[in-house]
Amino acid sequence: MACAIAREVRDGETVAVGTLAPIPASGVLLAHFTHAPRATVVILNHPDFWPFRNGSKEFYDYAQRGKFDLFFLSGGQIDRHGNLNLITVGDHARPTVRFPGGAGAAMLYYLPRRVIVFRAEHTPRSFVERVDTVASPGSSPPDVVRPGGPWKVVTPLCTFRFERAQARLVVEALQPGVTRAELQRQTGFALDYDPQAGVARAPSADELALLRTRVREAVARIYPRYAETAFDPSTS
Amino acid sequence: MPVAGHVGSDYERLRPEFRVISNPFAPAERLMLVPPIRPDVSLIHAIAATADGTLLLDPMEDDALLAQASRVVVASTERVVGSRDELRLVGDGMILPGIHVTALVEAAGGARPTLVRGVYPADARHLEEYVAAAADDASFKRYLDRYVHG
Repeated sequence: MACAIAREVRDGETVAVGTLAPIPASGVLLAHFTHAPRATVVILNHPDFWPFRNGSKEFYDYAQRGKFDLFFLSGGQIDRHGNLNLITVGDHARPTVRFPGGAGAAMLYYLPRRVIVFRAEHTPRSFVERVDTVASPGSSPPDVVRPGGPWKVVTPLCTFRFERAQARLVVEALQPGVTRAELQRQTGFALDYDPQAGVARAPSADELALLRTRVREAVARIYPRYAETAFDPSTS
Repeated sequence: MPVAGHVGSDYERLRPEFRVISNPFAPAERLMLVPPIRPDVSLIHAIAATADGTLLLDPMEDDALLAQASRVVVASTERVVGSRDELRLVGDGMILPGIHVTALVEAAGGARPTLVRGVYPADARHLEEYVAAAADDASFKRYLDRYVHG
């Protein structure tokens, strides 16, 4: 997932990673240490990658001005239209699951130019036909100010591209070893495929080596527990 | 106050106090307004302070914003120093003037088991114990008896 994310980072852009997002942080740093050395990288509260001096307020104000080119969000539920649910599953008044809440995701899905949605669990309960509660809609009517929105959805099984005109996710690439039948079994909506859909390039030896050294050390400064375990050859 | 984005999300349905209006400066656009949060009391913890309530705060946190939004601000501090110049020498941070602070309490270790950057780290083992204790009322009462009332 980190390699798939790294390939979406463009040199020279301003890229931000928010809270509870070690996989995007790893991917952005991998890109920064390889093809995107001139990217401005912002990682929430990271001692080396957090330029702000006035709490998260300064970050949110900066984001509201549309200054981020690329940002990352997730969802407890994600649907085929790119809607994200970070609030509740089931009847909102008597929910079966309560997620932590949107925490700015209804702004951060609109203003950064491209948003990559990431989810480490690709199952029918996380990828659903229609989310129960819309914290962040995938698309908006023309009278809503929305310079940005969903761009890709990255999971351990595939990468979706968001088609803005039709407001839907289409499979762009399967991860190596994943079949279309398996992907459909793990997804709660009928999959649409890009005509050019293929297999994602596997991480190269150089990418893996960098992930397990420099990226791991930098991620450890903000996600020490994650860095201890997530970069082992057996798991990554 | 206006917030960017949000229009068209279920916040419109779930939070009736949030209002969507036509932007007076660009009438073709819809815009969401939310009422400001005005806490009666906020409790914040400083790296250091002077006796008049001027605080040295962690610039990664929103404590200064919280203080400026609240009617009453009770600040605790790792230590009290003699002057604002000494406060600046304690370490990196942002200065919140004492005019925002209602009461000041010297409480070394007052942020434990969470962290004060540059002073002490978060106590991960204690936080795990807290999470386990919070699972039910009986274990949480034992936690309170041991660490809060004890």
